[in-house]
Amino acid sequence: MNNMEEILWNYIDGTCTPDEHKAISDQIAKDEAYRLKYKELLNLNKAFMAMEIDEPPMAFTYNVMEAIRTENAQQPLKAAINNKIIMGIAAFFVLTIVSVLVYALAHVSFAGGSHSTPVASNLKVPDLKSFLSKPVIQVFFFFDVVLGLYLFDTYLRRKKVQKEIQ
Amino acid sequence: MQSKLSDIALIEQTLAGNQQAYADLVKRHQRFVFTLAMRFVKTREDAEEVAQDSFIKAYRSLSAFQGNSKFSTWLYSIVYTTAMTFLRKRRLDTDSIDDEETYIQIESKASGYDVNNVENKSRSYYLNQAIEQLLPDDAAIITMFYQGEQSLEEIGKALGMEANTVKVKLFRARQRLKEKLERNLKHEAKELI
Repeated sequence: MNNMEEILWNYIDGTCTPDEHKAISDQIAKDEAYRLKYKELLNLNKAFMAMEIDEPPMAFTYNVMEAIRTENAQQPLKAAINNKIIMGIAAFFVLTIVSVLVYALAHVSFAGGSHSTPVASNLKVPDLKSFLSKPVIQVFFFFDVVLGLYLFDTYLRRKKVQKEIQ
Repeated sequence: MQSKLSDIALIEQTLAGNQQAYADLVKRHQRFVFTLAMRFVKTREDAEEVAQDSFIKAYRSLSAFQGNSKFSTWLYSIVYTTAMTFLRKRRLDTDSIDDEETYIQIESKASGYDVNNVENKSRSYYLNQAIEQLLPDDAAIITMFYQGEQSLEEIGKALGMEANTVKVKLFRARQRLKEKLERNLKHEAKELI
């Protein structure tokens, strides 16, 4: 009996070879027991296929997305900050320090006099006032405003995406 | 309204930072994932927890999805492992509850149906009742094959089994389901199925 059922299930599922399929078709046509069992299993198969699936609670998607958002928000600051920004800031400061050092060393007069002369008196300290000219200050503020606008735009975009999800 | 984009397109959008795309994926698969979770844990509250955990795990490892199989197959394998972990943890928490005993309790509760109301209840109700009495693996295989429209190979991938093993298990699961159905409905079974 089990063997017959197994053969018929393979036939219904379509997991048998074309030759087997033909042989089973012939068997169903000529054997009454096969025909009745086939009809029974076919009905059962239809019933299985028509089984309803469960419905999750209404807020299921919202709860999943909320859990994901919470998890993302709980990320440590180190992971949340973009590494490119950190590297950019570091590069800016390294470049500034190196430039200042190079400039300072280039303006030091090492052809001083005797050892008795104090070293400090031979140093030519660059005049910083000449660097803080009006155009430089304007460029500095312009850069700050652009950076501020960029960060504000990023913040607004993030808020918009969060609103869309809700 | 659900997105008409394919699963792969929604995954690409999610990976590009669009969380709404993932919300669409969740909406698309939530009913089946929840049903599959119900096959393992039996109560709606636990199934909701398992289904939610599965979607969160899938989101975390979405970049690891290779696209070699259907997204649904990959997702169901996550549901399976999440449900197994949940059951293992639950078993540790409630050490005194024996599996067999639990199923006997469920079975005896389910068989106490009201004969007079048989005609008022749908075929689907009795099938769901019978499927609840099956062992989780049997119920999951039947659900994945019929409701999830997964092939034997895909079920094998999701459950970590060979396709032939799934075929044998499916055959046995269908037999057990038929027996449960007949036992629950007695004479009415033949009319209903």
